[in-house]
Amino acid sequence: MEAEDEATGQMIEEEEIYVNGGGDGDESKRHRPIISGEQLDIEAYAALYSGRTKISRLLFIAEKCGNASMQLDALRMAYDEIKKGENTQLFREVVAKIDGRLGPNYGPDSIWADAVDRRAELRKEKLENELNAYRTNLIKESIRMGYNDFGDFYFAHGQLGDAFKNYVRTRDYCTTSKHIVHMCMNAILVSIEMGQFTHVTSYVSKAEQSQDALDPITIAKLRCAAGLALLEGKKYKLAARKFLETGPELGNNYTEVIAPQDVATYGGLCALASFDRAELKSKVIDNVNFRNFLELVPEIRELINDFYTSHYASCLEYLGNLKANLLLDIHLHDHVETLYEQIRNKALIQYTHPFVSVDLHMMANAFNTSVSSLEKELEALITNNLIQARIDSHNKILYARHADQRNATFQRVLQTGSEFDREVRAMLLRANLIKHEFNLKASRKH
Amino acid sequence: MDFSALNDALASKSYDQIAEICDTLMLQVSSQGVVFQDEWPYAIHLLGHIYINDINSARFLWKRIPLAVKESKPEVVAAWKIGQKLWTRDYAGVHEAIHEFNWSPEAQGIVASFSELYTKSMFELLVSAYSTISTQDTALFLGLNADDAANYSLQRGWTLDPTSQMLTVKKQAVATEQKLDSSKLQRLTEYVFHLEH
Amino acid sequence: MNLNMNSMESLVAQIQGLSGSIADVNQLHSLLKQSEDLFQSELARLAPLLTELDPSIHSLGYLYILEACTSAPISKDEANELVLSVARFINLCAAEQIRLAPDKFISVCKRFKDQVMLLEDPMRGVAPMLTALRKLQLSSEQLTTLHPDFLLICLLAKCYKTGLSILEDDIFEVDQPRDFFLYCYYGGMICIGQKKFSKALELLHNVVTAPMSILNAIAVEAYKKYILVSLIHLGQFSISFPKYTSSVAQRNLKNFSQVMCELETCVLANNEKFEFDKNLGLVKQVVSSMYKRNIQRLTQTYLTLSLQDIANTVQLNSAKEAEMHVLQMIQDGEIYATINQKDGMVRFLEDPEQYKSCEMIERIDSSIQRIMMLSRKLTDMDELLSCDPLYLAKAGRERQRFDFDDFDTVPSKFTI
Repeated sequence: MEAEDEATGQMIEEEEIYVNGGGDGDESKRHRPIISGEQLDIEAYAALYSGRTKISRLLFIAEKCGNASMQLDALRMAYDEIKKGENTQLFREVVAKIDGRLGPNYGPDSIWADAVDRRAELRKEKLENELNAYRTNLIKESIRMGYNDFGDFYFAHGQLGDAFKNYVRTRDYCTTSKHIVHMCMNAILVSIEMGQFTHVTSYVSKAEQSQDALDPITIAKLRCAAGLALLEGKKYKLAARKFLETGPELGNNYTEVIAPQDVATYGGLCALASFDRAELKSKVIDNVNFRNFLELVPEIRELINDFYTSHYASCLEYLGNLKANLLLDIHLHDHVETLYEQIRNKALIQYTHPFVSVDLHMMANAFNTSVSSLEKELEALITNNLIQARIDSHNKILYARHADQRNATFQRVLQTGSEFDREVRAMLLRANLIKHEFNLKASRKH
Repeated sequence: MDFSALNDALASKSYDQIAEICDTLMLQVSSQGVVFQDEWPYAIHLLGHIYINDINSARFLWKRIPLAVKESKPEVVAAWKIGQKLWTRDYAGVHEAIHEFNWSPEAQGIVASFSELYTKSMFELLVSAYSTISTQDTALFLGLNADDAANYSLQRGWTLDPTSQMLTVKKQAVATEQKLDSSKLQRLTEYVFHLEH
Repeated sequence: MNLNMNSMESLVAQIQGLSGSIADVNQLHSLLKQSEDLFQSELARLAPLLTELDPSIHSLGYLYILEACTSAPISKDEANELVLSVARFINLCAAEQIRLAPDKFISVCKRFKDQVMLLEDPMRGVAPMLTALRKLQLSSEQLTTLHPDFLLICLLAKCYKTGLSILEDDIFEVDQPRDFFLYCYYGGMICIGQKKFSKALELLHNVVTAPMSILNAIAVEAYKKYILVSLIHLGQFSISFPKYTSSVAQRNLKNFSQVMCELETCVLANNEKFEFDKNLGLVKQVVSSMYKRNIQRLTQTYLTLSLQDIANTVQLNSAKEAEMHVLQMIQDGEIYATINQKDGMVRFLEDPEQYKSCEMIERIDSSIQRIMMLSRKLTDMDELLSCDPLYLAKAGRERQRFDFDDFDTVPSKFTI
């Protein structure tokens, strides 16, 4: 049964990739696990993305990796990538970061930069003239196009704020719901690059209102964008849901924002950190759609399965191996620690759940940790009432604690009684004071 | 000042009433404008509070005692020292404070009685708080020397491991009254009635 | 009968003659009211008259004359005399007579309190003030204006235990909000001194949450103490107020809680010394209660734990120190545990209470009784209020949608 499912899942995935993928040549590369225990293969990683996010991600890696050769690799690729575009400001920043360490080929190519700037100046003038003409003629569609071109122009030159403004300005000139969706997608893209995730959320919901204009690919894109915004807002459970709902149509159509591998990683980790066992089974493991994504990152698939089948040591080992590379991810970086902690806590809780007593030595083994640090972890979980148990530190055994319902009820009754007692007396007093004050006012009046 | 009630209580060894008697009398005489401070039996009054374990009141009484009295009457200071040790939970210090002073004949009775009571309550504390305890610590808590402490506890069912000098505590079964009389049932009926109406 | 009214002697005679039956005393009372001007003009001659009266029999007349006597400013030497004579009167007077003229009685008692404080011998006032407020009270549920004075005197005289005796009464009837504020504030301080923190919290809480239209200094001071006591007793303290707290208090006290929160983090962080108002003692207790709180938390987590580990976790210097803390807590019934010195371990136990003993049943029973009593009070008050013409007039004015038909359901005798 299980094997059969696996097979069908595999098939669908291959089909989809063909449908959505780019050239055949890329395919072998795309299948390769990019995020693994080994040091990040930056080139393969960068190949997953396009546009500005590719540069942003490379620069993020350069900033966070703390490894000189890796840093230079990332900067070199960023340099090459930027030169394909027109963002001279970013170009100068990267040149400053490289600081001559990559030889004369990666220097401040001022001839190129000046030429680009000159061309930009001319282009801007032209766009302005055009837009002015459209506006005097009040041709709605042309004005929309004019603003849109301005948005594209500013985006290409790295002036994200202006780009956002111009994209949003097109809104007044949208005549079809397709236009609206187009405007939203542009606004979302710029907002993600700016890190303005509240904008992302609002434009996603705006786009989703135009149901008729949404094709499956756009729907998938919107899910991803929403997922990113929720991830950023630390709403991991909701983020997981969005990523899990992302359709396979996404493929490589949104590489300017996210790769399908990311959907698997972000979605998988968020789900693991926030779902209970049943949800994990029904929404992740049995989710045929999502399995397509998981196949792209087998480590994530494996660690989810390990978690579900209670092979915690293996699961945690995978996580441990992945950590360094996940910390280099521009969107995941801030959340790795929290997600890891939540996943670990969940594992600890699940492990203890079915037992009356647990040998801490065995448990420490299962979690690849020492008894004393396990004790501290369990202490925190018990304190927060996430595990109902108590630790016999002398014999290193964890005992499940079954609260005596009868005693607890008596205790609560007495407590409620005394609270009621106090509250009612205070209430009567307050009523008396109010009455007194009122009477006083009344008597003054008369 | 009429100390007859106090003297009666001391004579009949009703030490638990002394604090109350002294408190009342003190308020009474001071409301009559009597200057009582010089002849007041502060030591006995303090001991009275200590005897019923009302250290708060002993502490406030101590604060009320005029400096001159504290300086001229060492027994008052000695009595407060017991209270101080109780206040800071210096268990062994309490016994010390009891034994290191040569109490006057009036105070001897209440001090001796308190000492006995305190040793007993310490023993009860040890029974409830320890499963094993060294003879040395037992001696400190009970205010006895090591041999006497061992004997005292062995007589009460404890056992001694001679090599480690550790005593194993024998717990006492606590019997609680669980019987109900019919009046309770009557009450219960009333409550149900109350709830229904 | 009125012919000799302006002679003091005849008044004394009247007092002597009309102190028997209720009717007589009432008649005397109106007579005395008419004679107040006379008293004022004959102040010098009043004192000797008192010797002709018996305070236990001629209480009302005695009170009127005494009140007039004490109204004049006096020297320190006279103060002693006055304190003695008022104390004697309070002790001997007949409650049912003085209750006819509560204002006079209160005024005498307040002067008495002032003089006692001027003499710097507050203990002289403790017993008489207690007697006075008991005699003035119609029931133990009534808060008299003498309550706060009595508590203040107890605090000054360091007679905390005596002060505690009136705090055990359930107070429901309040005449003056200010009396109530001071009663709760002083009462809170007495409870703190006697380490009755839960009662102290209740009293201070009453001040903070009382209805008020302008912030008063008592509430501010009470709030500071409330925070500290809350930290000692509950180990925490919530910044939010119950919704019935007046908006004035909510707005203004937030600032104070800010300061105290910083204090909390500071105390929690580095146990440094603090000099804050006069609450230093409380701050110190907060610190020491933290050890207890931390140990208590361990009992929820561990079945057994070594003394060394306890010391490490709650940041005590040694295993021995941890043992002493645990022992104290066992002694105070704050935890259930046994110490095993041989292995250096502590075994934490569950609360042995099985809720089966007769004693426990008694406790539950009395709790039920109290709650039934309180519910009845609440219902009574509700009924009384919903029939109160003043209230109905106000409710009617404020809620226009209140139909006139609704008023018809009010029993006619209340709609005068």
